[in-house]
Amino acid sequence: MSTLAAISAVLSVGLITYASRAGLIVFLADRPLPVNITRALRYVGPAVLSALTVNLIAGGEGVDGVEWVEVAAIGVAIAVAAVAHNLIAALIAGMVTLWLLLWLL
Amino acid sequence: MAPADPPAETQTPAAITLTALRAALPLFIPAIPFGLVLGVAITDSAMPTAVAWSTNLAIFAGAAQLATVSLAATATWLTLVATAAVINLRHVMYSAALSPRFNDQPRWFRWVGPFFLIDQLFALTSVRTTLSAPVWRRFYLSAGLFYFVSWTTVVTIGLVVGSSIPTEWRLDVAPAIMFAGLVVLGLTNRPGIVAAVVGAGVCLLALEVPNNGGILVGAISGVIAGYLADVAESRRTMQHDAGHR
Repeated sequence: MSTLAAISAVLSVGLITYASRAGLIVFLADRPLPVNITRALRYVGPAVLSALTVNLIAGGEGVDGVEWVEVAAIGVAIAVAAVAHNLIAALIAGMVTLWLLLWLL
Repeated sequence: MAPADPPAETQTPAAITLTALRAALPLFIPAIPFGLVLGVAITDSAMPTAVAWSTNLAIFAGAAQLATVSLAATATWLTLVATAAVINLRHVMYSAALSPRFNDQPRWFRWVGPFFLIDQLFALTSVRTTLSAPVWRRFYLSAGLFYFVSWTTVVTIGLVVGSSIPTEWRLDVAPAIMFAGLVVLGLTNRPGIVAAVVGAGVCLLALEVPNNGGILVGAISGVIAGYLADVAESRRTMQHDAGHR
């Protein structure tokens, strides 16, 4: 990605982020969103973040880019997050799992 | 947590700011490792470091920043921007929920305030419904500026430290772990689980879609699945209630 492409990407994401935060406050003051929209918006977070996780594990190399040690680390992180409800604990557990597996193998 | 604050109306502006900072600090602590991971990801990014760092000022949204700097290596411009945009769609909900509080605010604040609207600030300010407009504004801006400055500082620390950490530590895996953890913590109901599983599954099947388009295909499928599961669940609940009448 060229420097110019990177700058324009960052600015575009910035503008879109600002628009999604400000849109209803600046332009649509006090008009509630349709129920169907809020209902769908609720599932944007889990859907896109889980898709992004899978994509980052593959690292742009398709299924071949998936390393099983990474999958194991993420599996442990998911389990810890579900039990402890704590992002820091999940991150540490995932990284320690990864280091242990890489060290053992 | 709001009701424990001292009565804000009788406070001096400095005291309101102090109250806001006290309330803001505990919510920032869980964001510190995220900021450090982002800092390290910036050093790994295919973007020039200064451009990747500028996401702090231009975007100021952790998950979207992390996606932007980590996708630069593999995704096309359009996929990158579209993915980050979709990640930030949840802010529309915050915007909708807070817009009544902005109605009686001056115009400059209606334009400036939303820039700072991160998850933590929403959590802090949306529950403080009893504050007058000027007090709420001071509270909002104090906490917002605090998050902006501390976030940028932590990310910068991560960037400085990250460049000296050897690649064998595999910190490049940390963003994926972070996103997986965020998914789990964000799950509050069964349709949410459906959305996450379908989003991940479809993205896995669609990994061969060019330009990382699988993220968007997965995300859209996940949202539709979550929405349908939500509709089905509320129908079931309604039938269940009717059966008891």
